[in-house]
Amino acid sequence: MSWDYIFVQVANGAVIGIIYALIAVGVTLIFSILKIVNFAHGDLYMLGGYCAYYIIALLGAPPLLAMLLSMAALFVLAIVLERLLLTPLYSDATERKDEYGLIITFGLAFFLRNIAVIIFGPYPLKPPSFIPGVQHIGEMTVTNDRLFAGGVGIVLILALLYFMHRTIWGQALDAVSQSRESAAIVGINSGRFNSVAFGIGAALAAAAGALIAPIFSLAPDMGVLPNIHAFVIVILGGMGSVLGSIFAGILLGEAENLFTAFFPDPTRALAYTNAFGLLILMVVLILRPQGFFGRRHLRME
Amino acid sequence: MRGLHVYILLAVAALALLFADRLSSYWMHVAIIAMFYGILASSWSLLAGYAGLFSLGHMAFASIGGYTSALLVQWYGIPIPVGMAAGVALCCALGGLIGWVCLRMSGPYLAIFTLGFSEIVRITFATEDDITAGMAGLHVERLFNTTSRLPYFYVAFALLVVSLLLMGVIVRSRWGLFLRAIREDEQAASASGVAVARFRILAFAIASGFAALAGSFYGHYIGILTPSLGGLDFMAVLVVMTVIGGMERLPTAVGGAFVVEFLLELLRGYGQWRLPLFGIILLLTMRFARNGLLTPLWLKFVQLGEPRAVTAMALRDVPQKDPAQ
Repeated sequence: MSWDYIFVQVANGAVIGIIYALIAVGVTLIFSILKIVNFAHGDLYMLGGYCAYYIIALLGAPPLLAMLLSMAALFVLAIVLERLLLTPLYSDATERKDEYGLIITFGLAFFLRNIAVIIFGPYPLKPPSFIPGVQHIGEMTVTNDRLFAGGVGIVLILALLYFMHRTIWGQALDAVSQSRESAAIVGINSGRFNSVAFGIGAALAAAAGALIAPIFSLAPDMGVLPNIHAFVIVILGGMGSVLGSIFAGILLGEAENLFTAFFPDPTRALAYTNAFGLLILMVVLILRPQGFFGRRHLRME
Repeated sequence: MRGLHVYILLAVAALALLFADRLSSYWMHVAIIAMFYGILASSWSLLAGYAGLFSLGHMAFASIGGYTSALLVQWYGIPIPVGMAAGVALCCALGGLIGWVCLRMSGPYLAIFTLGFSEIVRITFATEDDITAGMAGLHVERLFNTTSRLPYFYVAFALLVVSLLLMGVIVRSRWGLFLRAIREDEQAASASGVAVARFRILAFAIASGFAALAGSFYGHYIGILTPSLGGLDFMAVLVVMTVIGGMERLPTAVGGAFVVEFLLELLRGYGQWRLPLFGIILLLTMRFARNGLLTPLWLKFVQLGEPRAVTAMALRDVPQKDPAQ
């Protein structure tokens, strides 16, 4: 096992970790504003990937533009879904909102996954590369698509951090996440930010789907595992913490890649990689339910 | 005449048993599978509907129960009912353990935790193929040595009735009251003297036991078990059935399982469109009739034959959950 091999594994882990982080950041953003865990997030990621694919295939748009258009499309779709399905969450008359949010997003995931089989077909699709070719590192190679996905992922996360911390809308989102009432007192229309948060979360998931599509491929059930991974990351990084999600995402990507690389029985390594992430999830939930970077006021009681 | 609905149910059950042999083999299979789902839906309703513990690991317990029974019968040649009992006992213990481990978790955390548990179980069963035969499927000894489905129909019927009676006794006793108190407000329940921890663990253990019963019967009926029994797809169908029927009552949960399973078969011609269709029905149910589509029917049915005044009183006693109020 050479250093080149390990280096490539670390690079691959980082790229996958960044993609995971993009999905997880959306989950945590939605959680901090809407106070629900979105079980349909992986399916928004799937839709984003397909959307970019069809923009490339039908309109002949360049892949990067397709990704941006797909983000915009999912932003709008998510707001429509949020208006249609999630408004009872904001009414005081709704009892047991946790349960409502859970079942409605779980049902939405079931619907999206199965309608995708009909619309897109059950067979995997592969869009063209963003940048064809590979980079050589010693004896090993890394595809340009992976480097590109990692790079764009970092740019998007930086853009989100800028948005959250340096713009008035980001500050308003933060205010709503801390206290809806206080935000309303200082004149923030908190209702609007439910839509904004859900839309941004979906747009980031769409970007992740578009970026991952040339590396793996598109399939209607591609969202199931990343959705669970996003939960692992969010629990690890703490519900409501964007920075925590980023760290935890990269950590998980690395841990899984190295786990696969060093698992003693190579025929089973890949299968158990996912189980390994889930095991981390369960242990963290048992030991430290608020995660490691959790923000106190966002903890779910 | 009070309790008319009980007599009607008894009469329907008697007719079903008497005329079961008139059913075609195909529809008898559908009925057996519907009863299998009925046990799962009612036990999940005990857990998620009554106690408010929204577990996504219910099918994992069915899967564990099925594999345990199948493997024990295969390895040690014990009688199948003993194997099934062993599966149930194991899942009661395991369910209690899971219930104990996630005592501090609420709502979505519990759902994520149990989802993680169920995926680990599925992945392990799929990967350890020298024991479980993996995705190729484990051949399971069948309960009866005949090609007729009639004995399976009677067994499924008996299992469903016994499960419903046992769970019915539980939810009508003080325990059921405690479970609903935990669902509505855990801290208030605890302050009123409900041993929250004990009843959460108990709810998990009991529901998991019934899931294992259903799962082990399924294995010994179908004759083959695959890890996908414990997967997210089965779990999603179970949620669809229970929520559409009405997850807060055992009979409506079972009714949901029956209605959805029969509709799935009736609409077979529409192929893939069935699942998204039921997805939409689930979303609409949750959005506009959260108590479930069968609950109003069931409440009317229960009041059949009661004098008008009593009906009015009973209606007032039913907790109304109208979002508009």
